[in-house]
Amino acid sequence: MEMIQVENVTKQKIRKVKRKSTPILFINLCRLGIILGLLAVWELAVRFQMINPFLMGSPSGIWEESVRLVQSGQLFTDMFATVYGTIFGFVLGSLLGSIIGLLLWYSKTFANIIDPFVVALNGLPKIALAPMIIIWFGSGMFSKIALASIATFIVALLSAYQGTHQIDSNLINLMKSLGATKGQIFKKVVIPSSLPWIISAFRLNIGFALIAVIGGEFISSDKGLGRMIFVAGNLFNLNVVWVGVLTLMAVAIILYVGVSKMESRLIPWEASNKQREN
Amino acid sequence: MVQTYLEKTSMVDVEKRIAIELRGVKKHFYDSDENVIQVIKDITLDIKEKEFISIVGPSGCGKSTMFNIIAGLMEPSEGNVKVHGESIGSSTGHVGYMMQKDLLFPWRTILDNVSLGLEVKGIAKKEREDIALEYLAKYGLADFAKAYPATLSGGMRQRVALIRTLAIDPDIILLDEPFSALDYQTRLVLEEEILGILRDFGKTAVLITHDIGEAIAMSDRIAVMTQRPTSVKKIYDVGLAKRLGSGMKARADQRYNEFFENIWADLDIQIGRSS
Ligand SMILES: Nc1ncnc2c1ncn2[C@@H]1O[C@H](COP(=O)(O)OP(=O)(O)OP(=O)(O)O)[C@@H](O)[C@H]1O
Ligand SMILES: [Mg+2]
Repeated sequence: MEMIQVENVTKQKIRKVKRKSTPILFINLCRLGIILGLLAVWELAVRFQMINPFLMGSPSGIWEESVRLVQSGQLFTDMFATVYGTIFGFVLGSLLGSIIGLLLWYSKTFANIIDPFVVALNGLPKIALAPMIIIWFGSGMFSKIALASIATFIVALLSAYQGTHQIDSNLINLMKSLGATKGQIFKKVVIPSSLPWIISAFRLNIGFALIAVIGGEFISSDKGLGRMIFVAGNLFNLNVVWVGVLTLMAVAIILYVGVSKMESRLIPWEASNKQREN
Repeated sequence: MVQTYLEKTSMVDVEKRIAIELRGVKKHFYDSDENVIQVIKDITLDIKEKEFISIVGPSGCGKSTMFNIIAGLMEPSEGNVKVHGESIGSSTGHVGYMMQKDLLFPWRTILDNVSLGLEVKGIAKKEREDIALEYLAKYGLADFAKAYPATLSGGMRQRVALIRTLAIDPDIILLDEPFSALDYQTRLVLEEEILGILRDFGKTAVLITHDIGEAIAMSDRIAVMTQRPTSVKKIYDVGLAKRLGSGMKARADQRYNEFFENIWADLDIQIGRSS
């Protein structure tokens, strides 16, 4: 009896250890399985004419279209246009917004004056500005960059400004006791201490920038994934729509991961904080 | 009896020039309902050059507030403060101030934290890092130069904050409970270190502490403060460390106990009154 019990206990332990050390591979296999399963069911349903490939597209059709679009180079042209507009707009809007948000720290009065305007702009869904922006800046890349900049600007500004409100006043007092000027306090306390807030806005903003660019491309443009999806959709070419959507998904993930990587670069001390907590 | 003897010797030991002059300093704050909270009733005190003076008083009586005023971080509601004979108004940068919280910048490495004051004063990178490293090595923290504060223990952080204050080489040093997070042994060692530095470089030091023993072991004089709204209740001339050569010897001296009992009694009465 006892022997068996002991054996059981060790077996359980081993199982526990194993479960803890292999979950990532296992989970990833499950995920892959789900995707492959769905594709198989979809393809079979199309083959057996249970669903209409004209309305839904089909995995084999999507594959054929992607091969064609990759070979003709059109997919890369469109992807490049969207990524370019997104990154440019994101960087421009986020940087400008963050800088102005930080500078508001210098003047409470000025911040107070513009507060209602900022709140009003923040509440507005930025895509509503797209028709105007396209009229002003044309249907090329420039209007997409402008849209993405506007979409990210206010969020960055508000976050940075909020960041300046969370500063430990003791740190500022310490700087003052050292005889620091306002400029030194800004550079050495206000900026670094607001960085976590600024970065967290970046993570939201990369998504907003992408939405703005795609929205702009829907309305009027000569290239881009948004245009590709929109045009193919109008032509009921569902396979191309799928290629566009899937590419867009991949682009979104890559951009998001890129920004997250930037985070640990820009605020390394947060990483060491986390290390300590663990 | 003791008092008169000490007064005589301290007259000889301590120079008469005044480093910090507090004249009728009062301070009140307003709470959220606009009620006046009187914190400092009246402090009039001369802190002599090259003297080591400790401030002891009940918790919350206004000691840190007094330091903030001397450092120029806030202006007194009434009265005025002179440092080296000049009214400070709302100017800053004339004292080295180690605040009650250890207050290291989380985004700066230990090395950059220690060299902060030098950086503010515009000293070149190479030079300030050399100075900072020298201090860090001296206090056994050289291995942590590149670490961020979050990875250090409370005691180490406090030592870094102390080093940061010393690194700018100020004439006057304000220390607000600098040893509170340290273990007893480190504390004794650091007390000795500080006394050595102050003696060697002829600095003026003001120490806020809740540790009566520490105050007696280190100080030329001790100012005992009353409950809030605070004022100077009594000043003791001690000078044991200077005369005997070390804080350790001061602690072993029989007068140490005498001072302890007296100061304890001063504080005790106030605590009794408040509750
Ligand atoms: N900026 C401020 N606004 C309002 N009240 C304040 C401010 N600073 C200090 N006080 C109040 O003044 C009183 C004295 O504070 P202070 O920090 O000077 O005491 P302390 O003697 O240093 O206490 P401790 O020994 O606990 O450090 C406290 O009641 C505190 O709440
Ligand atoms: Mg205090």
